[in-house]
Amino acid sequence: MNYPIWELLTVGGGSLIALIAVPHVYISHMAVGGGLFLWLTDLKGFRESSPAIHAYLKKHIWFFLLLTMVFGGISGVGIWFIIALVSPAATTVLIHNFVFGWAIEWVFFLGEIVALLLYHYRYDSMDRKARLRIGFLYFLFAWLSMVVINGIVGFMLTPGDWLETHNFWDGFFNPTYWPSLMFRSSIAFTFAGLFGYVTTLFLEDSAFRQRMVSYCTKWLLYPLLGLIPAAAWYFYSVPADVRAVAFEMNKLTGMWVHYLIAATVAIFLLGVLMSASKSLTVQRLAVVLLVPIGLVWMSGFEYTREISRKPYVLFGHMYSNSILKTDAEKINAEGVLKLARWSAIDSVTDQNRVEAGREVFNLQCMACHTIGGLQNDIVPKVESYGFQGLLAQISGQGKIRGYMPPFMGTSEEKLALASFIWNGVLGREPPPPGSPFAGGTGRGPSPETAKIPPFDPDSSEYVLLAWNDLGMHCISDCDEFFSFLPPANTLQAQLIRRGPLPERITGGVTISYITPAQHANPASHTRFWDFADKLYGARLERNVGLTGNAAAGGAFKFDDERELYEAKFIPLLPYRDDGKFDSYPVLDIEARDSASGELLALTKVVAPVSAEADCWRCHGGGPRKLDAGISDETAINILKVHDRNEGTQLYQQALDGNPRLCQSCHADPALGTEGTEGVLNFSAAMHGWHANYMGEVLDEACLYCHPASRGGITRCLRGVHGTAFEPGKMTCGNCHGNLNERALGLLKGEKDKPRAAKLAEHIQLGSMPKDSVIGNTPWLNEPDCFACHVDFEQPAPGARAFNNYNATFEELYRNSRDNALINCIACHGSPHAIFPTMNPYGTFRDVLQPMQYQGEPYAIGANVKNCTVCHIVEMEDPIHHPNMQRMVRNKGGFEKHGF
Amino acid sequence: MDPATLIPTAEVLPAPWWILEFLGMLTLTLHLLLVNVVLGGSLILLFSSLTGSAKSAPPGLPDVLAKKIPGTLAIAVTFGVAPLLFFQVLYGHFFYTSSVLMAKYWIMVVPAVMIAYYGAYVTARKFNKNSAVATVSLAVTSLLLLYVAFCILNNISLMTHPAQWVRYFDNRSGTLLNTSDPALWPRYLHFITASVAVAGLFSAIVWDFRRRKDIEGAQEKINSGLKIFAVATIIQVVIGFWLLISLPREVMLLYMGRNMLYTVTLLAAIVLALAVIVTASLKRLWPTVVLLVLTVVAMVMMRTFLRSGYLAPYFRIEDVALKPQYDMLSLFLITFVAGLVVVYLMFRWAMGGGKAAAR
Repeated sequence: MNYPIWELLTVGGGSLIALIAVPHVYISHMAVGGGLFLWLTDLKGFRESSPAIHAYLKKHIWFFLLLTMVFGGISGVGIWFIIALVSPAATTVLIHNFVFGWAIEWVFFLGEIVALLLYHYRYDSMDRKARLRIGFLYFLFAWLSMVVINGIVGFMLTPGDWLETHNFWDGFFNPTYWPSLMFRSSIAFTFAGLFGYVTTLFLEDSAFRQRMVSYCTKWLLYPLLGLIPAAAWYFYSVPADVRAVAFEMNKLTGMWVHYLIAATVAIFLLGVLMSASKSLTVQRLAVVLLVPIGLVWMSGFEYTREISRKPYVLFGHMYSNSILKTDAEKINAEGVLKLARWSAIDSVTDQNRVEAGREVFNLQCMACHTIGGLQNDIVPKVESYGFQGLLAQISGQGKIRGYMPPFMGTSEEKLALASFIWNGVLGREPPPPGSPFAGGTGRGPSPETAKIPPFDPDSSEYVLLAWNDLGMHCISDCDEFFSFLPPANTLQAQLIRRGPLPERITGGVTISYITPAQHANPASHTRFWDFADKLYGARLERNVGLTGNAAAGGAFKFDDERELYEAKFIPLLPYRDDGKFDSYPVLDIEARDSASGELLALTKVVAPVSAEADCWRCHGGGPRKLDAGISDETAINILKVHDRNEGTQLYQQALDGNPRLCQSCHADPALGTEGTEGVLNFSAAMHGWHANYMGEVLDEACLYCHPASRGGITRCLRGVHGTAFEPGKMTCGNCHGNLNERALGLLKGEKDKPRAAKLAEHIQLGSMPKDSVIGNTPWLNEPDCFACHVDFEQPAPGARAFNNYNATFEELYRNSRDNALINCIACHGSPHAIFPTMNPYGTFRDVLQPMQYQGEPYAIGANVKNCTVCHIVEMEDPIHHPNMQRMVRNKGGFEKHGF
Repeated sequence: MDPATLIPTAEVLPAPWWILEFLGMLTLTLHLLLVNVVLGGSLILLFSSLTGSAKSAPPGLPDVLAKKIPGTLAIAVTFGVAPLLFFQVLYGHFFYTSSVLMAKYWIMVVPAVMIAYYGAYVTARKFNKNSAVATVSLAVTSLLLLYVAFCILNNISLMTHPAQWVRYFDNRSGTLLNTSDPALWPRYLHFITASVAVAGLFSAIVWDFRRRKDIEGAQEKINSGLKIFAVATIIQVVIGFWLLISLPREVMLLYMGRNMLYTVTLLAAIVLALAVIVTASLKRLWPTVVLLVLTVVAMVMMRTFLRSGYLAPYFRIEDVALKPQYDMLSLFLITFVAGLVVVYLMFRWAMGGGKAAAR
C-alpha cells in the first residue's frame, strides 16, 4: 500500500528470498555449531597433545572461514536486501521495532568476524590460552547472534502479546522463542559434524581420518536427540488455530514437512553409515549426499515455518501482501486503488477495468503468486475456473482454508481483479458485465400448447388429481464421475368419486402413467444405467428406475399409510429423443377399474425434471448439452477441488470406474442415505461451503445451482410464488432465506460436527443476528406456509417464511392434508408450481388439471363456484380449510398474461 | 502526478533522530575508510598488474594491499551493516522505495560483493605466484566493487530525487537508474579518488608498523604510500569543486552561506583537505592520518546535510513521531562498549604472545 512493487512476474519474490535465505540459514547454523566444534576440537588437540588434530583444525578453519564469513556473512546481508525489495513494509516494521535488537546482533557479528579472522590468521602464533579464549569467544558471539535473530524471526510467526503491547520484549520472547532456540541449536551442532566430515575426508592418514570421522559422527548424531523433543515442543508452541491452517488446510506445508522428516532420517542413517564404513569411497559418497541433504533439511524447515505464517508476513499484524490487518475495513470501504500510493489508477471504470485489475493484482496477489512463473503460478490455479468461479474464489479466499489473505477492496475492484486474471492473464474474452442472470427470457424451446384432457361437469363420475411431489427437480448427469440426483420423478394421485358428499377411492382401481415417447428412452441420454450399481448399489434394466418403475409407463401403488397412489422414482430426463430439451414432460394418467379395466378417469400432469445446475459457471468447463447438465470437464474440476480440499481420491476412483454417490458420505434424507459419521449432510455441506464463496450475491446465488433463473432454460419457479406474474416480487429468499441464511440454518442443524463451525465462522448476515437462525434438517424441515399465510389469510406486507419450519415430515406442504384428508398439493399444485402457474414451455402445462376440471387455472375448488368440481352442488361451509370460499386474489396478474 | 504523494508514510522512531543519525555517521565513517582501502587497494593493484611489473608499481604497496584486502573487506562489510541499519530507521521509506525502483541492480550488489570477496582471497593467495590468475581476480574484484559503489550512489541519488520516482509507472521491473543526476558522476569519481588516496595512506600505515620492527626499506615505502595519497587528494579537491557546482542551485546555495552550519562544514572540509595535502607532502604520516579522519568526518557530515537539502521540500526528520525504547538503546550501548572491549582484548591476546602455540 505504501511502497512501489517490484514486478517479479516470473520468478517471484518468495523464491528470491528462499534462494538467498535457505543457503544462508544452512551455513549460518553450521557457523554456530561449528564455533563450538572449533573450540572443543582445538581443546581436544591440546588435551591429547595431538599435532595431527591441530593441523586438521587449521585447514578446517580456513574452509570454515571461506564458507561462513564470506558466503554466510554476505548472504545474511543479502536476506536483508531482498526482503526490503520484496516486502519493504514488513521489513520496516522489523527494523523499527527491533532496531536495537539488530544493533546488538551487529555487535555480536562484529565480535564473531574479528574472532574468526584472528583465529585463522594468528592460529600458529597464539599460545594455548589465547587460542582457546578466541575460539570460545567465536562460538559465544556466533551463538549470541542466533539468540537475537531467533527472537525476531520467531516474532514473525508467533508475535504473542506484542500484538497488544507492541513491546520489544513481548515480541522477542514470544511463545516459540525457547523451543525454537533449542531446535536451532540442536541442528547447528549436527551441521557442525556434517561439515566436519567434509574436511576430515581430505586427511591422508587413514587411521587418524577414521578417528576424526567417528568424532564428527558424534557431533552429527547426538544433537538429533535434542532435535526431536525440541521439534515437538516447537510444534505445540504454535497456537492450535495457526497449526490447523498451516498443517491441515494448506496442502503446501505437508510437502515441506515431508522433506524435513525425510532429510532428518537420511542424515541419521548416513551418519551411522559414516562411522560403520571403513571405505573412503563410501564415506565420500555419503558426504556428497549429506551436504545437499542438509540443504534440503533447511529448506524443509524454513518453508514449513514461512508457510505456517500464512496468510500473514507478520502474524496477526500484516498480511503476506504487506497490508495491515487493521487497514482492511478502510480498504473495503474506500478501495485499495485509492488508498495505495503506488497505483497508476485510482478508481475502476469500464474502460480501465483490466488495467485496474492488474494494479489490484500487484497490490494483493503478487507477493505470493507469479504469472506463469516459478513460484505459486496463478495460471494453473485459475484456469479451470469459470469467470463467476474466479469472482467466487476471490470473495471466499482466506475464509475456510485460512491461508490466503482476504480480498480487500470494493466490489468494483474485485470485478477488476477477476477481469485482469480472466483477460490479462488467461487471455480470455472479457465476459459481459453484470449478473449472468440479469434480464433474459430463457433459452428453452418455443412454448407448445398442451391439449387439455376432457371432463364433463355434468356426466363425469370421477375426478383424478395427480401431481409430482416436487415442483423443482433436477438430475445430475455426470454419472461417470459422481452423482447426487438420480433420474427419479415421484408422481402421486388421489381419485375422487363425485357427488354431494364426494368419496376418496382407495382400492379396486388401477392408476397408471404413460410417458410421452420422446421421454421414454432415458438410457440413451445418460450413463446412469452404466453406473447405477456403483452409485446406488442397484443393478437396473435400462430405462427402469431405482424402484422398478419404467420410464415409458407403469402403475401407481396404493400407499395405505398416506392413503394415496404413488409411482416412485420414474427415471425421467429433460433430454428428448429428438434432441430437444424439455423440462416438463406431460404424462397421461389413467384410472381404470381393476376388475373390468373400464376407464374411470384420465388426466395429464407435468413431471418436472431439469439438468440445469450451472456448476460450470464457477467450476469451468461448460454445460453438458443443450445449455444444461454437468460436463465431464466440469465434473472433473469439481472432483479435483474436492480431493484437494478434503484429502479424498474421488477423481482417481472415478477414473478407475468407481464413481461415488455424494450422499454415500454426506447423509441425505431425500435419498435416505446415512452418510459417514461426522461428515456434514449433503445440503449443509453444499450450502455451507458455497456460502463462503458466493454469499455476497445473496438470493442470486441460488440460481447458480437450482434451475430457477428467469434467464435459464428451465425457469422452474413458475408458480404463484414465482416470478411469472410479478417478476422480482418474491425470490427464493422469501421462503428459504438467502444463501447465507440457508447455509447457517443447515449448519446449525449439524452443529455437533466440527466442520459446521468452520464453515459458519465467516458467514455474515445482514438480516438478523447469527444466533437467531434456527437449525434445521434438509428435506424434513422446510419453510412453513403458515408463517406468511396466517390462518390461510393473505400475507402481511413484507412477510417472510424464512426461519419458520414445519415440525414433522407429515407437516411438509407436499405431505399435508386438509380436514377432508385431501392432500394440499392435489388442489394447489406442486411446490414452486403453486396454482396459478405460468409454465414457460406451454401456457397450460402446469395447470392442466384446473383447466380440465374447472376451466380456470386456479386451485381446484377455488373461486366459490368451483366446489362443484367434486361436490356437484355449491357448498356453504369451508370444510377443507378456512378462508377458502372466496375469489382468487391473483386473478388479475394471471389474466394479463393471456388467460 | 505529484511525487510527494508517492512518499511512503514514515514509521515511528524508536529513538531520537539525532542519536540514530550520530550512530549512523560514526559507523559510516569507519565503513568509508575501510572500503576506501579495499576499493582503492584493488585499483592500485590492478593498475600495477596491468602496467607490467612490480618495478613500475609504487614500492611496497602491492604486497601489503594484496594480503590485507580480504580481512579489511570483512570488517568493511561489517561496518557497512550498522550505518545501513540506522539510516534505514530514519530514511527507510525513501531508501526502500529507491531500492525497489532499481531492484535488479540493487540485489546484484549481494553476489557482486560475495564474488569480489572470494576474488580478493584468490588475489591474496596467488599474488606474486601466478600473476595471470591474480590479474584476472583483481580485475573481477575491482569491477565488481566499482559496480557496488555505483549502485549505492545511484540508490542514494534516486532516494533523494522523488521527482524521478514517477518513472516507475513506465518501468516496474526494477531497472531504473538516476544517471540524469548531474552530481552522480562527480560524486562517484569523488569516492573512487578518495579510495585510491586512502589505500595509499593505508599502505604507509602498515609500513610504519613494520618500520618500528626495523624492517629494511620501510621508510621508502611509507613515502611512496604518502605520495599516492597526496596526488590523489589534490585531484580530489578539483573533483570536490566539480561536485559542488553540479548540485542543484537551491542545494548548493545552502553551502554558500544560506545555511551557516553547512557553509562552515564545507570550509572546514576544504581547509582540512588542503592541510592534509601539506602534511602528506611533508611526509608526516600520523598528522596526515589524523587530519584525514577529520576530513572524512567533515565529508560524512556534508553528505548528511546534502541529503537533508535534497529532501527538504518533502520531509524533515524532526517531524517524525517518536516512541523511544530507551531501555533497548541503553542495552545496545552497553553491549557495544562491552563488545569493543572484548574485540580489543582479543587483539591483545592474539597479537600479544607472538609465541608458537604450545604443542
